[in-house]
Amino acid sequence: MTTDHEDPASPPVRYLELKAALLLALLVALISGTALYLMYARGVFEQTQRLVLLVDDSEGVRVGMDLTFSGFPIGRVRGVELSAEGNARILIDVPRKDAHWLRTSSMFTLVRSLVGGATLRAYSGVLTDPLLPDGAERKVLVGDTAAELPILVASARELIGNLNRLAAQDSALSASLDNVKTLTEKLNGPQGALGALVGNDIDPKKIAAALDRVNTLLSRLDGMAAKADTQVLGPDGLVAGSRATVVQLNAVLGDARGTLKKVDAVLAEAQTVAGNVREASTDLGALRGEVDATVRKVESLVDEVNRKWPFAKDARESELKLK
Amino acid sequence: MPSASSVQSTLADGVRAFASWLNNWWRIVELGARLLTLALSPSTYTAAYRQALLRHVYLGAAPSLVGFTVLTTLLSLVVIRIVLVTSVSYGLTQYALEMVVRVLVLELIPLTAALFAALRCTIPRAAEVAALRTNSADGAWNADNDPMRMQVLPRVAAGIVCALLLAAISCGVTLLLAYLSIYGFTSAGFPAYTRTVGHVFSPGVALVFGLKIAAMALAVALLPLASVLIAPARPGELTSAELKGLVRMFFVILLIEGVSLVGNYA
Repeated sequence: MTTDHEDPASPPVRYLELKAALLLALLVALISGTALYLMYARGVFEQTQRLVLLVDDSEGVRVGMDLTFSGFPIGRVRGVELSAEGNARILIDVPRKDAHWLRTSSMFTLVRSLVGGATLRAYSGVLTDPLLPDGAERKVLVGDTAAELPILVASARELIGNLNRLAAQDSALSASLDNVKTLTEKLNGPQGALGALVGNDIDPKKIAAALDRVNTLLSRLDGMAAKADTQVLGPDGLVAGSRATVVQLNAVLGDARGTLKKVDAVLAEAQTVAGNVREASTDLGALRGEVDATVRKVESLVDEVNRKWPFAKDARESELKLK
Repeated sequence: MPSASSVQSTLADGVRAFASWLNNWWRIVELGARLLTLALSPSTYTAAYRQALLRHVYLGAAPSLVGFTVLTTLLSLVVIRIVLVTSVSYGLTQYALEMVVRVLVLELIPLTAALFAALRCTIPRAAEVAALRTNSADGAWNADNDPMRMQVLPRVAAGIVCALLLAAISCGVTLLLAYLSIYGFTSAGFPAYTRTVGHVFSPGVALVFGLKIAAMALAVALLPLASVLIAPARPGELTSAELKGLVRMFFVILLIEGVSLVGNYA
């Protein structure tokens, strides 16, 4: 196994050719296996269909990133290009075995987060819709955290400004707190809450004096009430007298009730008399009619006599006067 | 104030050093071209040459395999653990595997494999060649025995095979350890793992990765030997030549690493 040119210090190696061939075979196997695995990992051997996503701004989208569905990668970005309209076209290869998750009603979003790259997501609400055809173009809904950050910062700045104005030395809040401090000092002072309410040192004394007088008045009222109680509710009091008066009044009312019954009877009789008078009045009417007829007959007789009176010089003077 | 003559002599020394530096590099390139020509010539592959080649390949690569695999396993486990714990503490576990693959497989392991191959294989072989040249009286290094083909080319080929084999094995071991560390002893994580590896190894990155490993293997195999061969065959000069070879090798490895970083991340 040795040659003429090998190092004489090296020991001879048994099965040198086999071992060396194994090493070389291992090297070739490792390199070719790595190459094949990387090609498999890159999806070279997969049957794919093309999906084109349209977006205004492709920032954050890079070749090789995943399109995920429910957190699982179902596609891979193969390229990003500009369309004739100026939009970005994201070219995605979706393996045929995963393409059934994409339907004609699927929605696609591009979310840019603060940490990490952008993410492309697919949502299929109705899995019974028709399958997404090969080469389909869809618009992408964009959610950009970084774009919302300036708005958030502006709002925070405004809030901090308001807080600074509130906390300033001459702010309304500071003045209110000063007033509260003054109030609490007065509350803790010798005049207490009364002094804080009236605002000076004299009126609380007046109020205290008034309270003393009210106390005195109340004690006198207590005495008066006791006396009134005796006079009203005592054995010779107003209530007992009133009770006797009420008894007498009941008797008077009984008399009055009897008198009224008598009046009722008188009235009944008067009603009867009135009925009789009404009948007499009816008879008087007939009588008057008869008298009127008699008078008219007498008048006509007198007129007849006057016409036939021949000896009268002056008819007017000699006419008979009925009246 | 330095005189004009001293400045002139300094400039002349600088120009001479630069010309010598360029000349050495040119001789290394020329030697490499000669070796490539020999390697591509069918007449090189005689039975004696094949025996020498297999012997050097085996003796160069096999003794280093177990030790380097153990070293790589330990290094990979430590780095993977650090990356995993850090990513978990920051809530970025989804990026842990990608970071492990990028840091270990793309950057650290090829560099470690090249340096290990240089230390265990090519630098000792360069010392052997230097000793053969110095002791040419024993007959191994004379024109009749065609030393470039019978002594140098097998050692360079063995160095390349050693560097490539160590890089391939260590990358495989690291990928396996990364999978086991993240997913455990289950095959459930294989699709996600494969997808992440596919993400990292985009065509550009894979090309840069392959070129980097090949260039490093060539550098660690050729430069120590070439530095010895372009130096005068005198005992006092050879130690200096071996050191120069080491410096050249580290310089070229650094250059390759820088270019690969630019290619991957710039």
